[in-house]
Amino acid sequence: MEKQVTVSKRGKRKIKKGQVSGPWIFLRKTVQYLTLAIFIALFVWSRQDGGPANLINIPMRMDPLLILANLVASRTFLAGSALALIVILLTIVFGRAWCGWLCPLGTVLDIFPLNRWQKKRLAFSDGWRRVKFDFVIVIFVAALLGNLTLLFFDPLALMIRTMTVSLWPALDRIVTAVEAGLVRLPILAGPLSTFDNWIRPAVLPVQPVYYRDGLLFAAVFLGVIMLDLLAARFWCRYLCPLGGALGWLSKLAILRRKVGTECKGCTLCTDICPTGTINPAKDYASDPSECTMCLDCLEVCPRGQTKFLPVFSPEKWTGYDPDAKEALLAVGVTVAAIALLKSAQPAKRQSPFLIRPPGVRETNLDVVAFTKCTRCNECIRVCPTGGLQPAVFDAGAAGLGSPILASRLGYCDYSCNACGQVCPVQAIPPLDLAKKRERVIGLAYINENRCIPWSDRRPCLVCEEMCPLPKKAIQLEEAEVWGPDGQRVTLQLPHVLRDVCIGCGICEYKCPVSGEAAIRVYMPQVEVPF
Amino acid sequence: MGKISRRDFLKIAAAGTEAMALSALLDACGKMLTTSLPPREQPAASLQSPNPESTSETAPASSGTIQTTTETTSDSTGTPLLPPDIVVTRGGEPEALVRQAIAALGGMEKFIPRGANVVVKPNICVAYHTYEYAATTNPWVVGTLVKMCFEAGAASVKVMDYPFGGTQQEAYEISGIKEQVEAAGGEMTNMLSYKYVTTQIPTAKALKTTDVYEDILKADVLINVPIAKQHSSSRLTLGMKNLMGVIQNRGALHMNLGQSIADLNALIKPQLTVVDAVRILTGNGPTGGDLADVMKLDTVIASQDIVAADSYATSLFGMKPEDLDYIVIGTGMGLGRSDLQNLNIQVIQLDG
Repeated sequence: MEKQVTVSKRGKRKIKKGQVSGPWIFLRKTVQYLTLAIFIALFVWSRQDGGPANLINIPMRMDPLLILANLVASRTFLAGSALALIVILLTIVFGRAWCGWLCPLGTVLDIFPLNRWQKKRLAFSDGWRRVKFDFVIVIFVAALLGNLTLLFFDPLALMIRTMTVSLWPALDRIVTAVEAGLVRLPILAGPLSTFDNWIRPAVLPVQPVYYRDGLLFAAVFLGVIMLDLLAARFWCRYLCPLGGALGWLSKLAILRRKVGTECKGCTLCTDICPTGTINPAKDYASDPSECTMCLDCLEVCPRGQTKFLPVFSPEKWTGYDPDAKEALLAVGVTVAAIALLKSAQPAKRQSPFLIRPPGVRETNLDVVAFTKCTRCNECIRVCPTGGLQPAVFDAGAAGLGSPILASRLGYCDYSCNACGQVCPVQAIPPLDLAKKRERVIGLAYINENRCIPWSDRRPCLVCEEMCPLPKKAIQLEEAEVWGPDGQRVTLQLPHVLRDVCIGCGICEYKCPVSGEAAIRVYMPQVEVPF
Repeated sequence: MGKISRRDFLKIAAAGTEAMALSALLDACGKMLTTSLPPREQPAASLQSPNPESTSETAPASSGTIQTTTETTSDSTGTPLLPPDIVVTRGGEPEALVRQAIAALGGMEKFIPRGANVVVKPNICVAYHTYEYAATTNPWVVGTLVKMCFEAGAASVKVMDYPFGGTQQEAYEISGIKEQVEAAGGEMTNMLSYKYVTTQIPTAKALKTTDVYEDILKADVLINVPIAKQHSSSRLTLGMKNLMGVIQNRGALHMNLGQSIADLNALIKPQLTVVDAVRILTGNGPTGGDLADVMKLDTVIASQDIVAADSYATSLFGMKPEDLDYIVIGTGMGLGRSDLQNLNIQVIQLDG
């Protein structure tokens, strides 16, 4: 079954990928799995009633790409973001060790080494490696112009988004389906009840939460994994913007791979290298921008000629590192793209149904989509009702992956302020609960053509009942009207008090009218940025 | 993660698919079984109202209730004396109010057979406010009932409600009910989506089929502990309306709310209803949030007859039983009595 990747020149030793072992590999794998476990644990603990917000968002605050791009775009320094220095320092000492040892996406790619199924080795030109570097240029130029859309592709953001929107809901559905079956066996009633009362609240939602685009985001993530069919760690080699940023930083790395003089050119290291950076044509040298410090080559070398030694001069630019011309092109394209995006905006006007998380609207209509939100989707993860969803087209192209409140799927819980607390960059302001309860997210309006009392002439008033405000924002007016059967009936008709409503959306969520709700939250004044 | 060969992977995948198919099958069988059962069987402790006016002529025969005679009363209490229809206790701490009320009804032992599995259903409708705001049932009223159930020999006491605003865990916590229930040895149960059983209500006029929470259907004894609150569409939410917490899809009920509540009460019949009026909410209900809408009455109303308990509770708001649709319809359906003038009401004033 296992495809043998290579036979050494003399045919003496065969190496299968992933079969290298040794203390360094063991240590690396231990660190990788441990980090992934911690990442998942923090994800699981990212709930409204979960861990402290400044603990569960630590992975995001450690991500230098998210933090630096946010710093450039928002021109605001947040003390909590200093954690990113850890990864920066780590890279300056050890090169892209983040990618090989810590990155949860990297570990997931190692767990599913699809490239083993590769029938024929596909030769990807090294030129592809430039994509990730261009990506970095584009992200930072866009950030300078106040746009953070492409952080959508940050590996941590990809992980959190996929786990939140696709993986966990699917897991919940499967567990619930199995439970629904098992509960019919009376002897399992006890264990199931214990599971539901004690284990489930810590791991899965008690009340099901729905995401619109679970399939779409799963496909994106699956695509990233499937790229491994083309080459090992395809994402990390050619595309990952965080990898690109750390790669450039690794030009300064102190610890670098060197090949000793006794090397006989057996090519074992070349064949084993997961990023394919060991070049036989250059005396088996490698590029620190590409090396993930996985140490496979160290363990596989039969003569002990692979060494990692301190070097104190910056590494030279390689052929695939963008040159001035290419960099300038990337800058130009980005500027043009952002200019187009911004020029299209006033003409297009935003949808009045684009509702942002609590507290965002006052600061600036689109601060979330453009200058602050890192698309990490932690807010979406902690939202207990599933009201917050990652935007696909809702907020325009630039708003991709930013949080919107989709009131038909979930509402802003009157007793929750978790999204603002967990946001690593304060794109959603960290309001205390009393303040959050006063923040106007939007405004409800009644569509009298759909509303049951208004159009069907039947009693309903679910919206009034649901309104969480101490002085209800929905008031009832009693009126004598023609009933459905031609008789005069007295009905209570709901009205929204515009100055009281905070737009939490529970009325829209609970409205019993099928399809589009008869009461909806919208943005009463849409500011058009000129 | 070790390497999995393709064959192993297929094996695992096949096993997984089988397991899921099997569970789906079991699920389907289970649903068939449960739906073909009569909706609810009353345990022996159920007691028919002593007044002959509301006997089985009007009571729905097909609802599956087992009509028990007054013999049960003499058996369990040892005396042929009938307890009051409604007990009202006033002016004391919640625990004393509840204990006195239940004692006057004949003691908890009358309702709880030894070893019974009890469900207590308070009103925990939202996760927004603490109990002082009177949006959720007083935690000590619930806690005391749980204690008394165990004292009477209950095997298990589960407490549950499905809030419409906020999550269950949050609501259980903020209402203070979780703390008191767990202190009393009871279990706060999370209500899960898969445990609803589609159930027919043969006598229903509006709510003919609904999904009811399994634990409620299976409980030996159900104790209903509403809090008395203002509510726009039904005017007041009391005991009968509180049972809406055990079904899914409540929004659709609102178009014919009075009839739907009465229909639901034809299916779900608590052995005991204890209306918490320690504090009542007089406006902006059922969610509340303004202490100006709260009145502290230090009152508890207990009855085996849910309609009677609700009927008396209307008086706390200066209303009459006829003011509430569901009481009128429920009385008409023979679910209980609302003729307060003919009922034996015992009012106990505590000096607390």
